[in-house]
Amino acid sequence: MLSKIASCFTVRRIAGVVTALMLAMPVAAIASDDDDPWPDLQKSVFGDRQIVEGDGVVTIEAPERAEDPAVVPITISVPATVQGPLRSMALIIDKNPAPIAAKFEFGPAAGSGGERRMTTRVRVDTYTFIRAIVETEDGKLHMAKAFVKASGGCSAPAPKDADGANADIGKMMVRSYEPEQAQTALRDGLVMIKHPNNSGLQIDQVSRGYVPAWFIRDIEVKRGDDLIFNADLGISISTNPNLRFTYVNDPDGNNAVQVTAIDSARTTFTGASANRALAN
Amino acid sequence: MVPPARTRNEEAAFGTGPDQEAFSLWPRHRLPGLTRRELLIAGMAISSVPLWGHFPAQAAEPMAFSEIAPGVYVHTGRHELQSADNRGDMSNAGFIVGDDAVAVIDTLGSAQIGADMRAAIKSITDKPIRYVINTHMHPDHVFGNVAFRDDKPEFVAHHKMARGLSARAETYLNNTKSALGEAAFAGTEIVLPTLEVQDKLTLDLGGRELVLEAQPAAHTDNDLIVTDAKTGTMFLGDLLFSEHIPTLDGSLRGWLTVIDKLESSPPARVVPGHGPASMEIPAALADEKRYWQTVAGDVRKLIAEGKTLSDATKTAGQSERGKWEMFDQYHVRNVTAAFAELEWE
Ligand SMILES: [Zn+2]
Repeated sequence: MLSKIASCFTVRRIAGVVTALMLAMPVAAIASDDDDPWPDLQKSVFGDRQIVEGDGVVTIEAPERAEDPAVVPITISVPATVQGPLRSMALIIDKNPAPIAAKFEFGPAAGSGGERRMTTRVRVDTYTFIRAIVETEDGKLHMAKAFVKASGGCSAPAPKDADGANADIGKMMVRSYEPEQAQTALRDGLVMIKHPNNSGLQIDQVSRGYVPAWFIRDIEVKRGDDLIFNADLGISISTNPNLRFTYVNDPDGNNAVQVTAIDSARTTFTGASANRALAN
Repeated sequence: MVPPARTRNEEAAFGTGPDQEAFSLWPRHRLPGLTRRELLIAGMAISSVPLWGHFPAQAAEPMAFSEIAPGVYVHTGRHELQSADNRGDMSNAGFIVGDDAVAVIDTLGSAQIGADMRAAIKSITDKPIRYVINTHMHPDHVFGNVAFRDDKPEFVAHHKMARGLSARAETYLNNTKSALGEAAFAGTEIVLPTLEVQDKLTLDLGGRELVLEAQPAAHTDNDLIVTDAKTGTMFLGDLLFSEHIPTLDGSLRGWLTVIDKLESSPPARVVPGHGPASMEIPAALADEKRYWQTVAGDVRKLIAEGKTLSDATKTAGQSERGKWEMFDQYHVRNVTAAFAELEWE
C-alpha cells in the first residue's frame, strides 16, 4: 500500500490547516530543488520498491498543452489484457507545489478484468511530468507518465463566476451510465461535487493573504455494500472535483452508486445515482 | 498608432520609416464603415516600434483614434497575444468628450500604452479626464489605468471587478511581465476602481450623460456596458468580439442571455472589445452568437452522450475553425469552460 499522504502546498506557506499533513509528509518530497523531482518523490512515496515503467499495465492520457491549467483532464487506463484486481493507484504531478494529486484504493466492485479507467481534472502549475502508478494484485508497481505544458494552475482563481460557484457548495451529481451491451464486465460511473477546492495558493483580495486551503480530502464510492474505491485527494484536484470511473456491471442487479465525501473542514457530503442511467 | 496587424517586416517591405506618414498604408479591412474623415482624425500614424529597435517609453506620433460618432473616439488594438512588440495594445479602447469633461473607456494593456493613449486624448481635447471606466477586469483593458492616475479621475467599474482583478492580480502581473518583457512592462501596476456600479449609474460629462449598466456573469462576472445617451453608442467591452474569437471567463449561458437582450433593443451602434471600431446590431452579434450556440450545442450533446471533457476538447465547436482569428489560442479553453459549466445542467 502507498503511504497516506496527499495535498498541494509549499514549504513557504504553511497554513494551520495543512500542518498536520505536512508532518505526515516525508521531508524529501518537499525539500528537493533538483530539476527532476521524481527520484526524491519516488523514494518518499514508494521507498525502495521497484517501479516498472512502460510495461503496458497502465497508460495515462493528458493534453500536451494545458489550455486551462486549472482544469487539465487526465485519464488513467489499465487495459483488458491485465487480469486480476488492482490494489491501488497514485496520480502524481512532479512539479506541482504538492505533487501527490490523488491516491486510490480499490475494492471488489472495481472489478478484476476489462479495461479499467479513472478520469479526473487537475491543476498543473508548470511544465511537468504527470504520472500514474498502479499497484497490481501481486504488489508490483507499474508506471506510465505524460509530459504536460502548463503554467499557474495551482494559484489560478478557478471560479469564473465567483458567486455562481459558491452558491451551492456540496451539491453532488452522481451518474451510472448504461453500457451498450448488458453483459459487459464494466460500466461507467461519474461523481461531481460542487466545491471550490481552494489550493491555499490563491490570494485573498481583502486580507492580501492566501485563501486557506479548503478541499475535498476523502471520497468513498460504493455500489451497494461493495467498495468501488476510496480516494485521498489533494489540492491539485480542480475546483468542483470530477471523477469518472469504471466499476463492475451487474446486468440484472443494482448498479446505483453511493458517494460519501469529506472536505478538509471535516464537512461530509453524500450523494447517490439513480439506479438507471440518465443517459447512455 | 500601431497599425493593428502589421509586423515590422511588413513595414520594412512597405518602405515606411518613422518619419513618414503612413495612413495610406493602413489595413483598412480592420476599420470597416469609417469615413475618410474618421480615418484622418485617427492621425498621421506610424508604428510606435521603430525599425531600429524598441523605444518603449512612448510612440513617435499619437495613437490613432477614429471618431465614430460626434465626440466618441475609438482605438482598435491588434488581434494578438501580449508581446514586447504590441506592448499590450491588443484590445479596443475609447473616450467620450462632453462639454465639461472626458470619460475614458478602457485603458489598454500596459502603463506605457496607456500613456500613449492619454497623450492621444490630450492632443484631441484639453478637457479634464474625470472618469476612467473599465468594462471588465482583463489586463488588456485595465493595465493602462495607472497612466491616468495623475488626472485624479474616478476609476469606475462593475462592483465585482475589484474582487475579480484582485484575485488574479499576481497571475496577471506575472504573465504580462513575462509576455511584454521588462522594458514594455515597466510602470505597469494595478489601479482598482474608486467608484463601483451596483446596477446602473449615470455619469454627467456636461451636456452629455453616460449610462453604465452592470451585467450578470457573461464574458466575466464583472462586465459593464457603457452607453453614450447622446449618440446611442454602446461600448460593449468584451461582451462583443468580432474577427477575434470570443473568450469565456464567466458564464456561457449568461453571455447568450446578454446577446438576446442586446438584440431585442439595439442601440445606434456598438463598440466591440476586440474588432472594428464601430458596428451595428444585429450583424455585429451574428458571428459571436453563432459561435457560442455552436459550442453550447455541441457540448450539451456530448454530455448527453456520456462523453468526457477530454472528448469535448477534441470535437466541440470545430466547425468554427477558420472563421476566427486566434482560434487555436483560445478555442479549447472556451470548450473547457463551457463543459465545466454546462455539465451541471
Ligand atoms: Zn476580456
